[in-house]
Amino acid sequence: MDLLLMLFSLLVSYLTFKIWKRIDSKRDQNCYILDYQCHKPSDDRMVNTQFSGDVILRNKHLRLNEYKFLLKAIVSSGIGEQTYAPRLFFEGREQHPTIQDAISEMEEFYIDTIEKVLERNKISPSDIDILVVNVSMLNSTPSLSARIINHYKMRDDIKVFNLTAMGCSASVIAIDIVKNIFKTYKNKLALVVTSESLSPNWYSGSNRSMILANCLFRSGGCAVLLTNKRSLSRRAMFKLRCLVRTHHGARDDSFNACIQKEDELGHIGVHLDKTLPKAATRAFVDNLKVITPKILPVTELLRFMLCLLIKKLRQNPSKGSNVAQAAPKAGIKAGINFKTGIDHFCIHTGGKAVIDAIGYSLDLNEYDLEPARMTLHRFGNTSASSLWYVLGYMEAKKRLMRGDRVFMISFGAGFKCNSCVWEVVRDLNVGEAKGNVWNHCIDEYPPKSLLNPFFEKYGWINEEDDPDTFKIPDELM
Amino acid sequence: MPDQAPMPEFSSSVKLKYVKLGYQYLVNHFLSFLLIPIMAIVAVELLRMGPEEILNVWNSLEFDLVQVLCSSFFVIFISTVYFMSKPRTIYLVDYSCYKPPVTCRVPFATFMEHSRLILKDKPKSVEFQMRILERSGLGEETCLPPAIHYIPPTPTMDAARSEAQMVIFTAMDDLFEKTGLKPKDVDILIVNCSLFSPTPSLSAMVINKYKLRSNIKSFNLSGMGCSAGLISVDLARDLLQVHPNSNAIIVSTEIITPNYYQGNERAMLLPNCLFRMGAAAILMSNRRSDRWRAKYKLSHLVRTHRGADDKSFFCVYEQEDREGHVGINLSKDLMAIAGEALKANITTIGPLVLPASEQLLFLLSLIGRKIFNPKLKPYIPDFKLAFEHFCIHAGGRAVIDELQKNLQLSGEHVEASRMTLHRFGNTSSSSLWYELSYIEAKGRMRRGDRVWQIAFGSGFKCNSAVWKCNRTIKTPKDGPWSDCIDRYPVFIPEVVKL
Repeated sequence: MDLLLMLFSLLVSYLTFKIWKRIDSKRDQNCYILDYQCHKPSDDRMVNTQFSGDVILRNKHLRLNEYKFLLKAIVSSGIGEQTYAPRLFFEGREQHPTIQDAISEMEEFYIDTIEKVLERNKISPSDIDILVVNVSMLNSTPSLSARIINHYKMRDDIKVFNLTAMGCSASVIAIDIVKNIFKTYKNKLALVVTSESLSPNWYSGSNRSMILANCLFRSGGCAVLLTNKRSLSRRAMFKLRCLVRTHHGARDDSFNACIQKEDELGHIGVHLDKTLPKAATRAFVDNLKVITPKILPVTELLRFMLCLLIKKLRQNPSKGSNVAQAAPKAGIKAGINFKTGIDHFCIHTGGKAVIDAIGYSLDLNEYDLEPARMTLHRFGNTSASSLWYVLGYMEAKKRLMRGDRVFMISFGAGFKCNSCVWEVVRDLNVGEAKGNVWNHCIDEYPPKSLLNPFFEKYGWINEEDDPDTFKIPDELM
Repeated sequence: MPDQAPMPEFSSSVKLKYVKLGYQYLVNHFLSFLLIPIMAIVAVELLRMGPEEILNVWNSLEFDLVQVLCSSFFVIFISTVYFMSKPRTIYLVDYSCYKPPVTCRVPFATFMEHSRLILKDKPKSVEFQMRILERSGLGEETCLPPAIHYIPPTPTMDAARSEAQMVIFTAMDDLFEKTGLKPKDVDILIVNCSLFSPTPSLSAMVINKYKLRSNIKSFNLSGMGCSAGLISVDLARDLLQVHPNSNAIIVSTEIITPNYYQGNERAMLLPNCLFRMGAAAILMSNRRSDRWRAKYKLSHLVRTHRGADDKSFFCVYEQEDREGHVGINLSKDLMAIAGEALKANITTIGPLVLPASEQLLFLLSLIGRKIFNPKLKPYIPDFKLAFEHFCIHAGGRAVIDELQKNLQLSGEHVEASRMTLHRFGNTSSSSLWYELSYIEAKGRMRRGDRVWQIAFGSGFKCNSAVWKCNRTIKTPKDGPWSDCIDRYPVFIPEVVKL
């Protein structure tokens, strides 16, 4: 009798122990950001109006109409005088890049950022378990991730992934990979390295849709340290709450909105179609449809559904079709108040138009859009890493308090719209934000005017009429 | 690679062979053997007690209905939770390899003629390529994409995209047909192509062509070399552990068009001679319903990255030559580095797959070397006991020879790799799937067989995956080998005189 009881209790306690172990392993599945470090290139790489003008003049394929187009694009770009370009531009070699240029550009970036972020957190490179690198337009053999492993002598059982060609939203995709791995493996440290390679991708032709990319992209990058260790959760800055990816590649017009190809002369460039804003809006709306129920409180969702119902009931079927047609032209207003669930908005700095459009649809005011606008002004469009610069601005301005929710939204070629929501884990508005890339200039922001002197200097081009007789004045050559 | 000493001569004696077999059997079934005396004791005890005593013991146990019901529910509940929270089994439902059209064939004669015309001022480079081709182990039916057939080749971005579309879409069409999967049901898509990465990515191209869902999880890996196929499988496995009831499609390919080396640096001409067109599309799933039709179960996957060692890192390096042509430089120590990487990988995978007998022997020999006599030759575990089939990345004849020597494999074990190299050339990350397809086409794959796939890649990486066959696979009627399997295996001479 005792024997049976003992065996029985042994069996039960063994099974209970196993169950407890399984449940315990599920508790360590949170994805925390321990720290992040954005890259501020050295000041000798700053691009001002004069230099931009020189670079444009170096392209001998451009004519008057292209200059007018460029002027319009740059004046309204929202980009300021202190953005950065790769070194080879300053050596005049942007039309003939070599592999070494691309590699040194990346080396300059990752050696700076990874060193700083690891040192600040007293983590040695051999402690990193997962490495995800995403640089969209660089494809080297061995991959950039192998280069980083070689430089820092990381362990040989490291889980490494090298993502490319996923556009400006690749940061969120990298976080997605890390989030999923964290759910299976306990006690891991991950490093996400995100940047964009500009050296090999300068467009040296004259196709207007492809020159735009030349004007907007600037150098920058970020290294993010993530973990799911419970012991480090108190030191962490942010916790991931949810992540939603939307891919509209199935639609031909979305897929062809941003495509890399050769032009008539054989120069490779990224063609940005006129339908790009529409494709972006569609993807954005779809993404919001999925993420909104996850982040907003139930009361707000109920209120929104009620309003929608009332609107539908009020409309006649005949009137309804007119309204539906008018809506896309005016831009889609979400009609739902995002501020009830989100405190800060990290918008990908794709360009002034992107920030304005998102501000309009989410019904955001200038205070909400300020971090994105200032990042676009100070650092330009750094592609996938722009979100982290926007986050850095908020941190430097001491806006982030414990419990705040930060909404990150980005777009990418394909056409993708990826978004995620982070919760601030500890008060980030006290003390000094060490290593924040905005520290040296945050007091000057926001500046009184965001206009760049491009129009002042080159506005006279608009007066010229005849592209055939137009000649560049000698003092500019 | 430090020379692998053969086992001591006396082990070839028959008597000792049987002793070794008996020892292996004993150690591998140790626990079962332990159970026998316990069962014997219990049986003796029962017999001793006699039937009445047993009945008395049973009657003295006072169980009322409630207690019995509660305890049995509890036990059932706990065991259900236990079994349901096990790590999910990952199945490989099916896969399909791209069979290039006959029009893309590059027999030796074509290759040499084109070579002479393209490099007409450099006869030494032409001769070098000829010597490589003679000893390469490739056959006359390997294929290059259409753009490379031009004299000189026309590697435009459009041509590269059309090659990508041709190989990937054909493989995927075939996969959808074989498995009956609807494109709208794909949950995860991973595309790996090392050397070609247009914007939007190849994964976006696949999503566009097949109109996949907008909430698909897509990933585009590149630059990870010939072992990227197994890296994709690793990512798919991690994702499938997290998302229940999902499937994942992996597309492994290498796009040759933009990477044809047009200079005349010798170490960089080598890839021109070996890399050929190929692609594979694989469907993986964690759904219980796929349990019956899946071909394989994933047992283990081990990744080893030797990037920390400078020599390993620089051994496969993309660079410009003196004239500015971009090509991949293969270092002369490639074999040695591959051996080192393999050793590191084996040390991790050995304990997971080797039977207890081999592990004990290895442990004892390790202790012996450390404590007693450092000059004792290291014991190489016999991996033939752990696996029935081997798929070694068809990187080149030298790679297969080296691995055959290191792992002490017989000709039949490496037959799949050699024949794949002969028929399809080095198709980079998809070669492992062509080899697996060969084994199936030969009708050798039985239920319960274990397959070991080993791949190397730039960086330097060595990745290996262990699959267990889920059901005996009949020789497929279609597939890359269907029209030529009867001609294989062929004898591949050391040097084919050109």
